[in-house]
Amino acid sequence: MSSRQAILEARNVSKAFFGNQALRNVSIELIPGRIHALLGENGAGKSTLINLLSGALTPDSGEILVDGQAVTLAPRDAHRLGVAVVQQELSLAPHLSIAENIGLGAYPRRWGLVDYGRLAALVEEIGGQLGLIESRDTPVNRLPTGRRQVVEIAKALAIKPRVLILDEPTSSLAAPDVAMLMSLIRRLRGESVAILYISHRLNEIIDFCDYVTVLKDGAVTADRALVGLDPSGLVRLMVGRDPQNLFPHYAPQFAEDLVLEATNFRSGGATGVDFRLRRGELLGIGGLVGHGQEDFMLGLYAAAPAKADHFWARGGDGSVRTAPFAGVTEANMSGVAYVPADRRKEGLFLPHSIDFNLLLPSFARHAAERRQSAKEQGITEALARRLNIRGDRRRPVQVLSGGNQQKVVVSKWLPLEPSVLLLNDPTRGVDVETKREIYVALRAMAAEGKAVVLLSTDTPELVHLCDRVMVFHKGRIAATLDHAEASEEAIVAAAMGLSNAHAREGATV
Amino acid sequence: MSAEGRRLYWLIQWRRNDGLGALFLVLAAFVVLYAVLFPGIFAVGALAKFVQGWFPTAMVAAAQTIVMLTGGIDLSVGPMVSLGSVVAASTMQGPLGIFGGVLAVLALGACVGAITGSFVAIGRYPAIIVTLALSFVLRGVALLILPRPGGFVPPSLSEFLAGSHPTAAFLLVLFVILWKLYQATPLGIGLIAVGDNAEGAYRSGVNVTAVRLTAYILSGVLVSLTGLYVAAQTGSGDPVIGEPMTLAAIAAAVLGGVGFLGGQGTMRGALAGSLLMSVLINVMFFMGLPLVAQYVVQGLIIVCTVSLPLLRSTWQRAS
Repeated sequence: MSSRQAILEARNVSKAFFGNQALRNVSIELIPGRIHALLGENGAGKSTLINLLSGALTPDSGEILVDGQAVTLAPRDAHRLGVAVVQQELSLAPHLSIAENIGLGAYPRRWGLVDYGRLAALVEEIGGQLGLIESRDTPVNRLPTGRRQVVEIAKALAIKPRVLILDEPTSSLAAPDVAMLMSLIRRLRGESVAILYISHRLNEIIDFCDYVTVLKDGAVTADRALVGLDPSGLVRLMVGRDPQNLFPHYAPQFAEDLVLEATNFRSGGATGVDFRLRRGELLGIGGLVGHGQEDFMLGLYAAAPAKADHFWARGGDGSVRTAPFAGVTEANMSGVAYVPADRRKEGLFLPHSIDFNLLLPSFARHAAERRQSAKEQGITEALARRLNIRGDRRRPVQVLSGGNQQKVVVSKWLPLEPSVLLLNDPTRGVDVETKREIYVALRAMAAEGKAVVLLSTDTPELVHLCDRVMVFHKGRIAATLDHAEASEEAIVAAAMGLSNAHAREGATV
Repeated sequence: MSAEGRRLYWLIQWRRNDGLGALFLVLAAFVVLYAVLFPGIFAVGALAKFVQGWFPTAMVAAAQTIVMLTGGIDLSVGPMVSLGSVVAASTMQGPLGIFGGVLAVLALGACVGAITGSFVAIGRYPAIIVTLALSFVLRGVALLILPRPGGFVPPSLSEFLAGSHPTAAFLLVLFVILWKLYQATPLGIGLIAVGDNAEGAYRSGVNVTAVRLTAYILSGVLVSLTGLYVAAQTGSGDPVIGEPMTLAAIAAAVLGGVGFLGGQGTMRGALAGSLLMSVLINVMFFMGLPLVAQYVVQGLIIVCTVSLPLLRSTWQRAS
């Protein structure tokens, strides 16, 4: 099969953003009639590679080839050449109808006008294949997310692609739609379409892909047929190292006294959470994206409204509260700090200096005082030393790499001496070395007696770093696992709603 | 077009009425009130006069809507109307007469629209800044050409456009037909797609730059032609006559359900919005309120229509 000419190919492409090397000398060949899996951890460069292949970005170096010819692509050209992408972030226009969205960018035309007759036929044909039963005139913003994903897939098929790139197409689909998609992809393979398939569901990949390319930290670590690989083999290819080396030696430091406790805590998608948090404890929070973990964190921090049957919290100054915090300021004053997932939008003031960003929470605490530059310099100096933030701190924070930006977001809270630190996926898109530094810092904070709540999409973190892991499923805790019990398998199983034994245990903890 | 195609087209068009019901009801109520206060309105002559009064607001609201659908805004509408009227009144005495004047006004609208559009679509400057700056330039140029009201508009043109004939009504119908045709082109549908999700539209192969650029050119032409119409109404060019129309255009569009964030809204809504404002102003006039009260009302309309959906969602969350 590899003797066939690739339809779409990337040859030695590299791409950097703001000095972060996202891809280094990556090559990939998409061959007709082959389902090609693209694997990698979060931040390994998969999305960047897709954007290069579909013309949404241009490479810094290297080339993109279509039918063996080097090309410079814009998305419009890629469409004309038959390259369709199903993005994770939807490319739909919410106020347009299903039909208008499916045809968008490639409407059938007659005398310059959209030919609604042919559009209707096209939508009927493709909608039929995908089980799209909704009325074609429904505006897309009336559809639930899973159905929007089906429209997105229909839109990609509407250009009759020769290359179909699917970026985690099943993450928001309901089970019957997943089965439908699988059989559709198999049929397209039979029709000599080249398919690039990105998924975190390893079993899906083993089930029906032919070939795999693995990315790790922006470089290809494997490019081979899938024959003879099992899920753990795939994980080894993705991780490429013994995960133990990444994490500091596990040594629990938590005390028995509580800092936070709640029963039936509710906030947004978190519909009933019982939990307690001890001083010096590092509590991990896992689960598939969108099962209420994030809402739970925001509710605790009072960034979203929250209710609880019973709530108890001891502030840093020893004061006790029996109701969820009424606002972020109150949470801050009680010693609760939050590190958001989207650091660029929510955690930082990008054009402002590193110093300014580090000092911001302290300003709130000392709002009535005059600023003293010597004292401020002392604070930022100490923070920079503690988290190893190098270089001139008068530079705008946006010049730092993602990892160093994250260090700024985490360390800015430390002068307030928080007793509870909530972190929302702090290592997303962060390079390995910085990850290690962040792990060490989190452990050190726990050792000082702070309680650390770590929401993470990176399961090994939960397994190797945390004292205890709460796994969310459908807004509730499906399992609470001690360090000894926590394994990637147990966490993933609970996240999928498989583990009943642990669910009972979780309810009583 | 096949029966299936016709069905799909009209179903999609019908769906766009979603959320406009309240506006249409309020509009109908005010039209009835107006008819009660001024029973003569349904005579042909009076109706023609009424449509002439509404027409400029309708056109600038339509122009504003085109731009707002793409996620932009045009703060130079008023000065552009003034400049259009000034250019019309100072070119029609030239050798080419009315024809030359219309041509000059068309060229003016297209050129200014193309310049604004280039800054916004190609240069990626924020529309609010570009058009604010442009509004000063246009205002200045209008005053340079014609420091005080004057110039010359042939009485025959005034009589044709703003006399006893229902020309304005026919022009409105013509505009609606042209708009329907444009909305059935990929560029026309692109207006909504680009305003809704520019990144997604780009990735889907929509020529985002062309969509935006065309939107500003069309809008510019509509506004400058409105200037010509106003000149015909008054019989002369006036360098400040369009000033209140920037706000009026935005108020009418927002009242008609056109969103500030782009992608949301319909031309029928904007036209209904401008009609409602026009009727309101007439009603206030008959109730003896001073003419300047219309400014207050326009401002209040914007605030109310923007805050109503917010309030409604707050109530829904609370309950």
